Amino acid sequence: MKRSDFPFLGFGIGLRRDHYVHIIETHPKVDWFEILSENFMVPGGRPLEVLDQVKEHYPLVMHGVSMSIGSTDPIRIDYLCELKALAKRAAPAWVSDHLCWTGVGGRNLHDLLPLPYTPEVARHVSERIREVQDFLERPILIENVSSYMAFNDSTMTEWEFISEIAEQADCGILLDINNIFVSAFNHKFNPREYIDAIPIERVIQFHLAGHSDHGTYLLDTHDHPVRDEVWDLYAHAARRVGLVSALIEWDDNIPEFEVLAQTADKARSIHESVMEESHRNAAAIRSSIA
Amino acid sequence: MPPPYDLRSLEGLLYRLITAPSGVAEGLAMEKSLDDGGLSRIIAGDQRLSSIERVDIYANMYFYRLLEVLQEDFPATLAILGADRFHNLVTGYLIEYPPAHFSIMHAGRNLADFLRDHPIREDFPFIADLARMERALIEVFHAADASALDAEQMRAIAPANWPSIKLGLHPAIEILELEWKVPEVLRAVERGEEPRPPTRENVGVIVWRNRNVAHHREIDAVERDLLTALAKGISFAEVCEAIAAGVEGEDLAAVVNRRLEVWLGAGILVLSGT
Repeated sequence: MKRSDFPFLGFGIGLRRDHYVHIIETHPKVDWFEILSENFMVPGGRPLEVLDQVKEHYPLVMHGVSMSIGSTDPIRIDYLCELKALAKRAAPAWVSDHLCWTGVGGRNLHDLLPLPYTPEVARHVSERIREVQDFLERPILIENVSSYMAFNDSTMTEWEFISEIAEQADCGILLDINNIFVSAFNHKFNPREYIDAIPIERVIQFHLAGHSDHGTYLLDTHDHPVRDEVWDLYAHAARRVGLVSALIEWDDNIPEFEVLAQTADKARSIHESVMEESHRNAAAIRSSIA
Repeated sequence: MPPPYDLRSLEGLLYRLITAPSGVAEGLAMEKSLDDGGLSRIIAGDQRLSSIERVDIYANMYFYRLLEVLQEDFPATLAILGADRFHNLVTGYLIEYPPAHFSIMHAGRNLADFLRDHPIREDFPFIADLARMERALIEVFHAADASALDAEQMRAIAPANWPSIKLGLHPAIEILELEWKVPEVLRAVERGEEPRPPTRENVGVIVWRNRNVAHHREIDAVERDLLTALAKGISFAEVCEAIAAGVEGEDLAAVVNRRLEVWLGAGILVLSGT
């Protein structure tokens, strides 16, 4: 897997029910949309009709929440079959899910739970990602989650863990900048150290979102504007990683579509100024050498 | 020192603690091999949040995420019971029917079954019927697509061929037999009115999807039998025979025409063969 296997899509928005009509009727100017896979893994009805209409006008990416790649349950083949069928219909630029477990013993917590960061668990997850990629016949991206607990048995940092898995599984990384910020606060690490350690050639997409502050911890709620500190972190990541598609997630207290479009434009403008700055610096270095 | 838990045991323990009905601390007390110190050996706590408080964040998210989904899926059941009773009901429901499907949309699939023998029926004897009907609206909304037969397509079929054409029901349909007139409760909630307890009366209901909107209406016994037969796939001639059996002193063609007009207009028929 290499970054050039994936197209650069630009600056997109999560496709949510509140905006279906606006998008279908007005075709607003947006680079691309990300769908929540499970919302469209249904036999029929409106979601699939919306999907068909949106994909005629915009590139799509599929983002799932139920693969449970870190679970010790067997991988659900029924889930993968439906996911593959959806991918055939949606023709996404790529498919992603989270580096987490969501259930065990055949039960589902409908949440993204963290794993102990150890070489054994990294191997377990990598093997399962390879299994999924073989089944789907495409590489997938794994996303770092926000977490509120950490395990004393961990022998690696989170950035070492995700990097190790991406290497072993030969998969891409969906780097959620807000999740890094939230987890850094909750577990007291330096978010820039995280970004600086990620293998940049594996980063295919960024996520940006808002969170809520509960005093003793931050909660990844996707119901607020992106905070300034997260924008700063995004600029740092864009500076290091380069040309990578970015997406705005907003799942609760969803504002007017225009607010989301403006947020995507802000990501674009930060990215462009970071790139200009890099070019200026490169030019200055070149002229000083000459 | 070897880790106190392998990954499977760890996930099992966390699952039990997160779903413990009385909270993580009481769930922990049920874990024979662990005390509070045991959890802090597994999960790092600090001066901001103890290990129990950290697991509690997940426990709260588990319950309230599902509560929110069920509130959205069962607005009339919620309106009738009120927020507190509904909250308690969901607590019990999740113990008996913890989510197993990968999609959270399936979380409420067993609520009507759960209510069938629930003590809350002493005060709200119709509540299982109401939940069943609300669930049917969700099911038909996401049911499979099929090309519905419309009046124009029907007219395009040569009259000589009508008797032999095979008709079936669109997959996005549920036929319900209820003991209470709960459609009137649903209608009140849909209109934003205060719902009143329904009258006790056996009632047939069809729930269907047309142009991506879920609808419902009451049906009489004749229509219920016809739709049940149609669900298995029958010829137009058999439909006419079944209608004729229930017609006395009326023009059969007019009655058939009336039924057909309603069904074709609602988009509930499919052509399953000619």
